[in-house]
Amino acid sequence: MPFDLLTTVETGGCSSKIPPRQLEELLARLPLQVDPKILVDISTHDDAGVYKISDETALVLTTDFFPPLVSDGYEFGLIAATNSISDIYAMGGTPLLALNIMMFPSSAIPLEVYSEILRAATTRLHEAGVSIIGGHSIDDYPPKYGLAVIGVVHPDRIITNAGAREGDVLILTKPLGTGIILAGHRLKMTTQEQLEEAKRLMMRLNNDGARLMQKYGVRSATDVTGFGLAGHALKMARGSGVTIKLNMSAVPMADGTYSLAEQGCIPGAAFRNLDYTERETLFAEGLDYSLKMIAHDAQTSGGLLMAVAQAKAGELLSELQASGHPEAAVIGVVEAKGDAALVLR
Amino acid sequence: MKTVDTRGLTCPAPLIRTRQGLTEAAPDETVQILIDNPASLSNVRRYLTDNRLEFTVREEGSLAIVTVERGGQADVSANETDYCVTNEPVQTGEKNTVVAITSERMGSGDDELGTKLMISFFRTLVMLEPAPSSVVFYNAGVKMALDDSPVLEHIRELAERGTGIYLCTTCINHFGIKERLPVGSFSDMYQILNLLKDADHIIRP
Repeated sequence: MPFDLLTTVETGGCSSKIPPRQLEELLARLPLQVDPKILVDISTHDDAGVYKISDETALVLTTDFFPPLVSDGYEFGLIAATNSISDIYAMGGTPLLALNIMMFPSSAIPLEVYSEILRAATTRLHEAGVSIIGGHSIDDYPPKYGLAVIGVVHPDRIITNAGAREGDVLILTKPLGTGIILAGHRLKMTTQEQLEEAKRLMMRLNNDGARLMQKYGVRSATDVTGFGLAGHALKMARGSGVTIKLNMSAVPMADGTYSLAEQGCIPGAAFRNLDYTERETLFAEGLDYSLKMIAHDAQTSGGLLMAVAQAKAGELLSELQASGHPEAAVIGVVEAKGDAALVLR
Repeated sequence: MKTVDTRGLTCPAPLIRTRQGLTEAAPDETVQILIDNPASLSNVRRYLTDNRLEFTVREEGSLAIVTVERGGQADVSANETDYCVTNEPVQTGEKNTVVAITSERMGSGDDELGTKLMISFFRTLVMLEPAPSSVVFYNAGVKMALDDSPVLEHIRELAERGTGIYLCTTCINHFGIKERLPVGSFSDMYQILNLLKDADHIIRP
């Protein structure tokens, strides 16, 4: 019987992120390095850091790690690896090298599981053209895995939170729902197919998305992960000094997401994300409660949210749908800055 | 009174049980929820507030007892009197009609007949009261808006009366007819889809 990693996180594990509001307050107190070669740092609340090393090349750095979300070590490794390079893609970059970050209780879990996790990550990263050239492990419980990743991007083609313009439309490349479905799975409220779909979504790379963004000259994007669609959209709106309006009925969702939310299967992380967005968000009168909470559901290895000039959106969308993102959809618009940075209807 | 005991349960089980308890309780039955961890208490409080349910919280040591006075559906349900002024006549709003022109012919089976029918359609369309709010043209339908189209004058008339005329840009580029469209705005899938979605009626000849 293969070891079930989910047994190590049975005590809730309601998404391991520090609540976004507290995190921002904490980070705001850190002294910022003043260096003109640092092109993107934490002050714009972006997905990764960017450092210029020449006129043609800038380095992109990011890291991500978390406790198990699924039972099987190999699948956990695939998801963690896919997730860790996603931020590089969200900046329009190409990932190159990675380091393993592993916390593993070698006395509580068979070492085979450790090697399965690493084998999966190595395989997935090789597919993406990334080499793992080192890493670090310590003994810890529950286990956690992820990577530190470095990539490259042309300094004039960095895609940040700051480039969204009035008149752009917003395209989301993957359906929402992974947080809710994983929580539902732990409570045996999902079907096997629903779980498998969620896993497939989490294992899908955002590389085609990044390639297409560069092809169509998209200047603003983020990947939708721990702060939910609303949290990440808000960061983009603030970073760009605009108002983002999202239409929840246009947002694609994995099968089972809505009905689980209706039954109250709403992870605590969604409430923390709501805490973070609500001061700057206008929720339309009559917005369905479940849709509101789905918008705040913390995602793992989510899709890209990109702001695209309206004239290019149709073609970009078709290409996305043809290259492994069949559910990609236009979900909102960018408007001039209004009273609320984010509007959800 | 209905009791929902969530002690020992981890998120989001307390919320699921709460919601279940509220739906199962009779409409006037009090529901009491026992919660033993602050995170779940905070989430349940938020859930109840957002769904406009009145409740009180009493804390006894590490246990919180949340009492919801009104049971029934945990979704937003308003009293009729909040929204309906019942002694006023029912108003029917203006219906929003959108016409979708998807080819140069109306119907299929005989092309010559179809062409004649499409011309007849436009001739009759301008007599419709009220006028459609928009006419969207896509695929070969965009050719109906060409400068030598037999129905161009009808389209112009509709435009003059305030009907929105929307031509699919992808289609225009495909047929290479950009310079030959004197009426209408160049539109895209997003706008066209929204027009169709928000329509009360869609007429597609």
